[in-house]
Amino acid sequence: MARVEIPLGPQHPALKEPANFALSLDGERIVGAAVNLGYNHRGVEKACEARNFTQCLYFLERICGICSHSHSTAFSMTVEEVAGVEIPPRAQYIRVLIGELERLHSHMLWLGVAGHELGFDTLFMLSWRDRELVMDLLASICGNRVNYGINKLGGVRRDIDETVKETILKVMDQFEEALKYYISLATTETTLAARTLGVGILSYEDAVTYGAQGPTSRAAGLDRDIRRDEPYTAYADIPFQVITDTHADVFGRVVVRALEMVESCKIIRFVLDNMPDGPLSVKFPRKIPPGEALGRYEAPRGEDVHFVKSNGTDKPERVKVRAPTLANAASYAVMLQGNYLADVPIIVAAIDPCFSCTDRAISVVDNRSGREGSLDWKALRQYSIDWYRNQGVAFDGLNRKG
Amino acid sequence: MSYTEEELVARLTERFPSVTTTEQRERRIWLTSPREGFIDLLTYIHDDLGFNMLCTVSGLDAGEEFQLIYHIAHDCGIVINARVSAPADNPVFDTATNIYKGGVLYELEARNLFGLTILGIPEDIRYPLPENWPQGEYPLRKSWVLPADRVPESDEQDTPSEDTPASAEGASPPVIASEGEAEARQSTVAVASSISDTAQNPASSSPAEGSDNG
Amino acid sequence: MKLADKIMTWARVKSPWVLHFNSGACNACDIEILDSLTPRFDLERFGIVLKGTPRHADVLLCTGPITMQTEERLLRIYEQMPEPKFVVAIGTCACSGGVFNGCYCIKGGTDTKLPVSAYIPGCPASPAAIIDGVVKLLGSLQE
Repeated sequence: MARVEIPLGPQHPALKEPANFALSLDGERIVGAAVNLGYNHRGVEKACEARNFTQCLYFLERICGICSHSHSTAFSMTVEEVAGVEIPPRAQYIRVLIGELERLHSHMLWLGVAGHELGFDTLFMLSWRDRELVMDLLASICGNRVNYGINKLGGVRRDIDETVKETILKVMDQFEEALKYYISLATTETTLAARTLGVGILSYEDAVTYGAQGPTSRAAGLDRDIRRDEPYTAYADIPFQVITDTHADVFGRVVVRALEMVESCKIIRFVLDNMPDGPLSVKFPRKIPPGEALGRYEAPRGEDVHFVKSNGTDKPERVKVRAPTLANAASYAVMLQGNYLADVPIIVAAIDPCFSCTDRAISVVDNRSGREGSLDWKALRQYSIDWYRNQGVAFDGLNRKG
Repeated sequence: MSYTEEELVARLTERFPSVTTTEQRERRIWLTSPREGFIDLLTYIHDDLGFNMLCTVSGLDAGEEFQLIYHIAHDCGIVINARVSAPADNPVFDTATNIYKGGVLYELEARNLFGLTILGIPEDIRYPLPENWPQGEYPLRKSWVLPADRVPESDEQDTPSEDTPASAEGASPPVIASEGEAEARQSTVAVASSISDTAQNPASSSPAEGSDNG
Repeated sequence: MKLADKIMTWARVKSPWVLHFNSGACNACDIEILDSLTPRFDLERFGIVLKGTPRHADVLLCTGPITMQTEERLLRIYEQMPEPKFVVAIGTCACSGGVFNGCYCIKGGTDTKLPVSAYIPGCPASPAAIIDGVVKLLGSLQE
């Protein structure tokens, strides 16, 4: 049987430093790429088996510090299905509200990270400043900037009253105004386009083959969004557009995320205008009858899948979580191939990976000279900014210090 | 292209009579198949029915047997959950990566965490376990428990562990931050309005005055 | 702003260069650290500079629990830092292992491996708490 192409490394086990990315170069072009994905494995699924369902809920929220509500809601939905419990409509709407606010903060965060990787630090500062509008909102609604804890099994823990509603609407006015700038930046800024067009291509076919998710796949024209394809919580009632693009490159991923933020603002307004009255939660049993269920949620990065099996006790028999970054990371080898070493930072960042941005190490082998070396991420980013600056492509004119 | 659940159940049952096919609810179909013919089943699901999105593969330790469940979705929103099992004393499966190429990561994960054999995927890749994880330990097996000497030290312990480097120059007792955010936590309206002042002029990056006393 | 004046004094006396290392975190604390560098919180006005290499760093900011994968790397980084050096545990996971204690790849909080000079709890630690903790550390160094 032919060996299946495995996009995992390291390719050169002789290197002492474990590399997150192992690249083979021909001159400055990448001819092979392998990714080490296991370094963030903690043992969460096993730990769930020793916790009761409620403990699991707040535990799983902390799998990822950006899409915590995604995991919390996906888990709640799945467990509620196993238990045969339907949560009240008002709770469904509140889950949507927080989920879309999370999408806003996540995409803004990504925009800043992308800017930082490109050397466009003003974009980083501006987008993270505007992101604070959403962070403050989440903190005032839920009590925390991250790990909101809004969900409980059976519903939600906090209500959206008239004062909160007015605050959200006011922030939406400000945020939508700020968004105009980012959209025009994303779609018309020539330096940004020069750094992202044609870079990190993942074709429609490859996106399907490797199971790419979320904006990464929608930028290649895949018309998939769990909110529409398999509406959960209250999405069946809510009109919105699924944003796709055909560029299939990093530029496409920028555009898709920028326009998705506009849609999220519309969804938030609709939710506030149409929120049904009623209770926030229903009673939920401590022990859940035996059963299995699969839950799917459209997180900012793509599909988040939770599989839960119960055995009649108050602890799960099995919890399986597949976060979207894992599905997207399988495409890295294809996306990196054929690009310049200087494109690595933005290509890696463009799937919006949910792993630490600080400690990625790269090992590089130049096939022509046979030389091997390793780079830390900061050195690679600087190399990339300098390399493009030498070609006349730089954000120096746009980066202002005040 | 869209299906109803009934239609799918009918087609699968007719084509694969040895496979138990049930509709759990709207958009969820569950299959249980013996190992024999499982790859043909997945090929049919992919090629004939057009289910081309493998969401993930869940491994299960069911005591007498190990199970793999392939969760496969279609654009219309229906998910087929295809389960295959093997006896616990000889858990051998066949890879589905010739059909679902991107599924190699999920199969590796199930294989390495449960200690299964999946024919057709590289044996030397230990993903997701770290390189220094002991060989022969399969943490997701129900029978596996974290050995006592690897349980993290509890909070009650005051003395540092023996392999902690000596503290620098008679270090003062550790500082513990209070939740200083009480001062910084303003009402959302106040903060939002101060940020909006700077939002009028994106070229300026000076922070709003007096809005944050960290 | 009295507090800011005090901080400016310390900053003139000692402007710490910090290195940030994530030993297994979910990223929330890492993002809040980066957030504290953005204009709203602006950690840099206190003279705190984020460095890329241990050889120039005075302070090591650790996030996340220590995992099997990162343990050796963390120790090596600490050893490469010149004296005097200080370690700050940011976030509940770095303080004590947090919710991840009991997970099979987790060793515990930062202090299972390194001497910690300041603990900044929170899940995640907010930018305000991070600034508060770092400022307190600077203050204790003055004494």
